[in-house]
Amino acid sequence: MKYIYTILVLLVCCMHNDALAQQLIKVTGTVVDGSTANKETVSGVSISMNDKVIGSTDRFGKFTITVPGNATLSFKLLGYDPVSLNVNNRTEISVSLTESFANIDAVTVTAGYQTKAKALSTGAITTVSGKDLQGQPAGDVISLLQGRVAGLNIQNNTGAPGFRGSVTIRGISNINVSGSGNESFLTPTSPLYVIDGVPIDDNTEFSYGFQQAGPGVSPASQIPPEDIEEISVLKDAAATALYGSRGAYGVILITTKRGNSRIPVVRYNGSTFLSMVPKLRSVIGGRDERMLIIQQILAFDTSRNHAIDMINNTPFLSDSLNAYYNNSTNWQSYFYKPTYNQNHNLSISGGDVRFNYKANLGFYDENGIQENTGYSRYNLNMNMIYNPTDRFRLESQLNNSVQRQRMGSGNGLLNSGVANSAQASSLLPAPSLYSSVNSVLGALTTDDDNKVLTTAANVNLHYDLFKNFKASTYLNYNGTTGTKDNFSPAALNNNQALYYAYNDRSNTLYNRTQVQYVFSLKEKGEDAHTFNLFGFSELRSSFFKSDAVLSDRVVNDQLRGPLTKQTSYLSSKGGTTRYTDTRQVAFAGQFSYNYKQKYVLDFNYRLDGLSTNGPDAGYKTNPSISAKWNFDREAFMDNVSWLDFGDIRLSYGSNITPNGNIYQAYGKYFGGSQYNNSSTVINDLGFVPNLKLEPTQATTYNVGFDFSILKNKFTFTMDSYYKQNDNIFRDKRLSTSNSFGSIGSTEISNVNYGWEFQATARPLNTNSPFKWTLTGSFAINREVLAALPDGLREMIYSDPTYGQDIYYRLGINSLSNYLYNTKGVYSTNADVPVDPVTGLPYRVGNNGLLNYFRAGDPIFTDLDGNYVLNEYDRVIAGNSQPQITGGFFSLLQYKNWSLEVNTSFTLKRDILNNFMASQLGSFGSPGSMGAMVPPSEFDYWTQAGDVSVYGNPFDFQRASLLNPFRYNQTLFQEDGSYFKLNAVKVYYNFNQSLTQRYGMNRVSVNFTAFNLGYITKYSGPNPENVTALGRDYPSNYPLPKQFALGLNIEF
Amino acid sequence: MKNYRYILKFYLAFVIVCIGLSSCKKNLPDARLSIANDSKYTRTVFEPVLGRSTLFSNIFQYGNSSRPLDFKILNMRTFTGEPAPELTLNYPVLVWKGVYNGTEKSIAEIEAKRTIEYHPLFEIRPHSGDLFMWAAANSNMIKAQPDSGYVFDVEMSNSGGRRYFQNMRLMPLRERPYEPSNLDPITGQGTAISVNPTGVNIIGERGQPLNTRDDVQVLFKKTGNGNSITFKFIDTLSNPIDPNKFAETDWENLVHGFNMVKDQEKVRFDVAYPIPLSGYPTRYTTVSGQQARVVFKFNRQAFGNVLQQCYLAFNFNIYEKGDWELTFWFKRDKPKFDND
Repeated sequence: MKYIYTILVLLVCCMHNDALAQQLIKVTGTVVDGSTANKETVSGVSISMNDKVIGSTDRFGKFTITVPGNATLSFKLLGYDPVSLNVNNRTEISVSLTESFANIDAVTVTAGYQTKAKALSTGAITTVSGKDLQGQPAGDVISLLQGRVAGLNIQNNTGAPGFRGSVTIRGISNINVSGSGNESFLTPTSPLYVIDGVPIDDNTEFSYGFQQAGPGVSPASQIPPEDIEEISVLKDAAATALYGSRGAYGVILITTKRGNSRIPVVRYNGSTFLSMVPKLRSVIGGRDERMLIIQQILAFDTSRNHAIDMINNTPFLSDSLNAYYNNSTNWQSYFYKPTYNQNHNLSISGGDVRFNYKANLGFYDENGIQENTGYSRYNLNMNMIYNPTDRFRLESQLNNSVQRQRMGSGNGLLNSGVANSAQASSLLPAPSLYSSVNSVLGALTTDDDNKVLTTAANVNLHYDLFKNFKASTYLNYNGTTGTKDNFSPAALNNNQALYYAYNDRSNTLYNRTQVQYVFSLKEKGEDAHTFNLFGFSELRSSFFKSDAVLSDRVVNDQLRGPLTKQTSYLSSKGGTTRYTDTRQVAFAGQFSYNYKQKYVLDFNYRLDGLSTNGPDAGYKTNPSISAKWNFDREAFMDNVSWLDFGDIRLSYGSNITPNGNIYQAYGKYFGGSQYNNSSTVINDLGFVPNLKLEPTQATTYNVGFDFSILKNKFTFTMDSYYKQNDNIFRDKRLSTSNSFGSIGSTEISNVNYGWEFQATARPLNTNSPFKWTLTGSFAINREVLAALPDGLREMIYSDPTYGQDIYYRLGINSLSNYLYNTKGVYSTNADVPVDPVTGLPYRVGNNGLLNYFRAGDPIFTDLDGNYVLNEYDRVIAGNSQPQITGGFFSLLQYKNWSLEVNTSFTLKRDILNNFMASQLGSFGSPGSMGAMVPPSEFDYWTQAGDVSVYGNPFDFQRASLLNPFRYNQTLFQEDGSYFKLNAVKVYYNFNQSLTQRYGMNRVSVNFTAFNLGYITKYSGPNPENVTALGRDYPSNYPLPKQFALGLNIEF
Repeated sequence: MKNYRYILKFYLAFVIVCIGLSSCKKNLPDARLSIANDSKYTRTVFEPVLGRSTLFSNIFQYGNSSRPLDFKILNMRTFTGEPAPELTLNYPVLVWKGVYNGTEKSIAEIEAKRTIEYHPLFEIRPHSGDLFMWAAANSNMIKAQPDSGYVFDVEMSNSGGRRYFQNMRLMPLRERPYEPSNLDPITGQGTAISVNPTGVNIIGERGQPLNTRDDVQVLFKKTGNGNSITFKFIDTLSNPIDPNKFAETDWENLVHGFNMVKDQEKVRFDVAYPIPLSGYPTRYTTVSGQQARVVFKFNRQAFGNVLQQCYLAFNFNIYEKGDWELTFWFKRDKPKFDND
């Protein structure tokens, strides 16, 4: 290939003088993709003569140019081998391009605000093409990356429309947990999203003031999947170095599509999709429920007389003819239903090298399978590039989106109203205004309306001041407004309707000014030593304010305003709920050197100042150094024809991410009451200012290895990393002898290390009619806690609701569960251990007759051997974080058909099945009403000698003493490993000859089925639909199975 | 082929670098348990009564030390510092193997649930720090109060380190073979000859209700080394009262005994000692299970044709095996069995 180039160049040089003498002729032609079966035309191919771009093909792959009759033209398009040919006075030329394999020079990688040849990129970067994300409607495009990138762990843990799951790159970077029970959340450490060069942080401001958990509208969700050109995931410090001030959790770059056709191209992608209700839990209905409870009381009460008394005193058991208790209501049917949804995307793009533009209009509407929930998105994204001369380029972009969410009576992630009422007893009458199950009305009649309006505007200017010296500046404004209106009718709130109104405003102004200079020292006439100097300054100002008002004295259900005339302060309950205003400034420089692209060396240095840093903390420096050896370019490899490329990468570097807020660094004062007729200013004693408050710093070491063999038949990438997160923020309580409550401390560290593998194989011959691409990713992540505040070696986060404490111990994984160790069920009374000293059997609590363990009770390990079960008998068990993640993808193409299968897996993850615990526990209180699961679904103990998984659930008199189905036991900690069939997509492309007859260039239809199912040992409904702390809870939003029918037209 | 060797070399180099990276793990802290300063014994002086097994539980605060912990008794010595082999050597002790729950049908069935093992007389539970003294300890070999007793240290350890709790005191009290006891805990001498019953609801022949403090007394007497318990009732002149006069008594379930022999003067059972055998609540014990409870009942027609349910109740323990005789002495007045 190289020889051909050289010859061509020589030819061009030789003919240069003749060319001038030649007459100009008009040449027309078509460019087709030679690798497709029916020779589809290719648009946007750039045509150049003597290295100068003179035109490009239109949407039909046609071109018309005026050139000298003996000119040599070269046709180039990313992903195809360039073709050069001589015009030879022909006026009609047909050009066939073939897909390129392993042409590493042509593949470029964008990271650190620069675009480089892949051979010169030293970082650990995985890129996913936008093409791979089509055909599957999604509220959040990031969810489609599940399993595609080794080291990017995505758990789509809620089925609520528009909500995102948890996204982490290379393990968790924060160990803080807030809340308790099912509502305990891990502080999210989502990566930084950089959309078309503009960083947008995902962790700080959640929409709607829902600050406790990850879900909310992700900034990435404002980009429809159809508009995405590619997504790059930057994993190591070499790649993320220049994103320093918020890059500690990794970076995801999203590049949207650009226009490249002179004649405007109109593309329509639309689909309708069906969301199916997954299998819900089975429930006993009506009389069976009553009889089950009565039988249970008669069989297991301490005496028969007491049992009869209890039944007679419990109206819903004894008063079976009462219309109120004589029903068989299927509560779940009132909340779940299948829904039909739609997704439309229209894009217009056009232009050429000098000027191009794109406008994308998207509409997405999804109704949740839970009543009263849904998500819709309208967006208009536009960009244009103006390139009047080779030295000047102007890019501008305007993205607008309106997103609307309906969350019913829940907060989107949790819908405990639905959960509670779906667990109502079937004996109760169906929902009505007079129903006792208020949460039903809450879920069905609450008006919840949330809107997010996002506007992002970018202007980028590039100018080549002189040869090899480029200066550019980026200016970005990002504004988001969120509102929430929640109306709850009077019937639910003591005859006074409730109205909650919330609004927030956040805006960010971002500017980056950068200069770049490249120079080379030549050796034997070719560039040998190449130096690249790159520097920029970055300024970011962001502001967030949220206000809310709650009126609990609304006039009536019809008149929902105005929100004035409150009777007292207490009833107005309004005010500013959150206010932040931060500034960040950074200076960064990069020095890059390579020798004939064989040896590449990068130094990065970045200086960050954050307004949330303590006054004594100063600027943070983030250096990084990385090297790469492209060993395929060594002289001794010249004869190795089977190797396309091969390299080894080494990197070290650090990144930070801001911590806390300005009050934690500087303290807080507020106006107090009058004293001696003058105002007072009071110091907030809640926390003492930490003058040394530092940002979290992530330091990464990475070793990588890439190669590709046999003309791209097999490519392989492996990375091994060690990532240390220091200065993790946590509020530290101060001693009560101090007047202050707490201090924001940054003393926690954790370490993630692991291995990542990514491989692609194209096993079939290139001239086979079938084309098959197989991709696999596999990542192992180990996480270790390395430091705790005050030099502690261990710490417990206690959970008052379910006692599911989290044990932080140095040297093991940070988020360990601290549980009672369950080792089965006592089969007979003789199996219960006896204290040799006292002769008493193992017991719980006091010396009462019912406190002693007996047959049918769970076997809890007595860790301290005192024959009494107490809180000291808990053990550290399990890891709530997935340790192995990955996925497999297969794309099979044959003629007009293509079949894509996406799978992903998560292994070695422990889930606490709170769902199961609550179901079994519900048998323990027969006197209160609640949904009953058929006991036959469980393997439980019934008589002496039984060997079963679960103890006797019916022994209700002892249930409150023993708590046999306590949530914090290893019985409910299950292996949450799963293998998921993410999606199956079938595409059919209509023949171009047929579609062009109707004025359409390209038409394809697709059928996609997604969220199809799991292969898992987990006994709960869905091993992915659990919180980031690995807790399966009844109020989660089930993930629907979805089926989409799509139509894609290009005019 | 040469090229393959090159590739192999690269790969080797790569593997070495990978191993180098993973050796960063060496800098990570090891998963050690913690030993905290706030772990402590809440009690440091132990005064078990000899002749009965005594468990001191809930005496250790774990504080912030992580479980499991290991405990050991060290340096068991007398108060003056001499070694105390009587507390470190193994002696035969009666150890429970099964649960005594009051449903046993014979003494043999009860005895099958316990067995003889060899243990030091004063031990520590290896993971909880609870201390206990076996019933086999007696004042013939163990120094009992008023002696100053023994001094010992406890070592607490886990993988995070060890701590010592020094100079803990063991000051056993002399045997008191039964409770309630009329014996002085220090000297072992009787301060009275009898003890009071737990409850009495009986009218005397002279028409006054009898009380537990002065009117009715209980006398304990060990008559042999067998396995029996005998109940006797005597009046003010020590004449026997026929037990059958307590007609409503549930004789079969009076105590967990077998082979009841009841005659005009006494009622006798074969029993297993101690009484009660353990703290497990049974039909023969108080609700808490800590003491055996006997209730002798009769009904009579009181003044005004009222049914009077009369009883005499006594909660007690007997720790020493033997032929024990319990005599209920109506000291000031005879009980009135007749109807009014």
